[in-house]
Amino acid sequence: MATEARERIEARRRVQQREAPLAIRDDKDDEMIVSFPEFIFKEFIVAVGMTVFLVLVSIFLQAPLLGKANAAMTPNPSKAPWYFLGLQELLSRFPPLMAGVAFPTFVIVLMILVPYVDKNPSRRPAERKLAIILFALYSMIAVALVVIGTFFRGHEFTWDWGWVLGSGQ
Amino acid sequence: MRLVRAAFDEIYALLAQMVSSLFRHGLPLTDKIAARTALTNFVLHIHPVRVRRSWIRMSYTLCLGGLSFFLFIVLTVTGLYLMFYYVPSTGHAFQDMRDLQFVITFGGVVRNMHRWAAHLMVITVWLHMARVFLTGSYKKPREFNWAIGTTLLLITLLLSFTGYLLPWDQLSIWAVTVGTNMARYAPIAGPFTRYLLLGGTVVGDNALLRFYVLHVVGLPLFGFLLMVVHFWRVRKDGFSGGL
Repeated sequence: MATEARERIEARRRVQQREAPLAIRDDKDDEMIVSFPEFIFKEFIVAVGMTVFLVLVSIFLQAPLLGKANAAMTPNPSKAPWYFLGLQELLSRFPPLMAGVAFPTFVIVLMILVPYVDKNPSRRPAERKLAIILFALYSMIAVALVVIGTFFRGHEFTWDWGWVLGSGQ
Repeated sequence: MRLVRAAFDEIYALLAQMVSSLFRHGLPLTDKIAARTALTNFVLHIHPVRVRRSWIRMSYTLCLGGLSFFLFIVLTVTGLYLMFYYVPSTGHAFQDMRDLQFVITFGGVVRNMHRWAAHLMVITVWLHMARVFLTGSYKKPREFNWAIGTTLLLITLLLSFTGYLLPWDQLSIWAVTVGTNMARYAPIAGPFTRYLLLGGTVVGDNALLRFYVLHVVGLPLFGFLLMVVHFWRVRKDGFSGGL
């Protein structure tokens, strides 16, 4: 309750000082509408579009199915599913306790704590530069690691230009 | 003739009663009835009756949360179809996959849909998280819903990972071997966790059954419960758009 009062005071101060409000507000968008059918129709269209897209992709793009699992024949390189390849990439560079345990645990815990760490009440991008830069950095590193693990790691998980140059496999 | 007419009227009235009993409201011809539709229809009751335009602007939400949930539904439906034909044992699994691909009607397309929708869901859930972060929507009073969302992201990854083993081909077994080997590095609990997950020290029959049970019952059930809370909190904490 106290926080809400403080927020109201802050909002009033911003109005008096002619500063931009904490949250983006566009009066054109303020109109109340009945969610059925406009909103629900929008959702329906998106769902239909996604279904059509999935069916078309599934008709033309085969899901991979290699030979039967054989515990005696290890493929080289052995790779985790793509969303874990960033982790595998880290494991190939750092000691396992750090890359495999400490780092992912840190990321997950930090992610859950984000709303409590980020004390900045503003939701305007211009006033959240640090948060946005940090998140962009995190995203770029995560995506880069996954891309490297997926496309640039060949035999023995060593660096391989094969995918780019087309001579790998 | 009059008898036929009376019988026809009777049947027509019965049919009309059946149809009208399906819905708790009339045709949404006016705004008032339309509002009542959203309020009293079970399928639609997840939506608020009235929304501000700014809450549902597509350039704000990009529909990512809704798409993630829709993909979850697609995965449930296609997954049920696959379960009719799939036996989670090392002796059957791979042959069942080949049958799905080459013998069973629509088996290949349904399997492909399940596979691509799963990959897509990992991406949409991740992008949904990015959108919520970049718009600062996790801020008070939505801190806890962000925590639930993070857990849902992890469940999505685990669902995809457990599903990865099921085709029982060379890709499955070695991806899961590599993936579960990562768990081994955790001090003290690591090797035990891996043993618990695989039901042994190697990826074999026990691992396949455990991954299957987690994939088709455990994780979807837990995920669904969290989704219910997630959506409920969205309604109670308020939409974040254009506060």
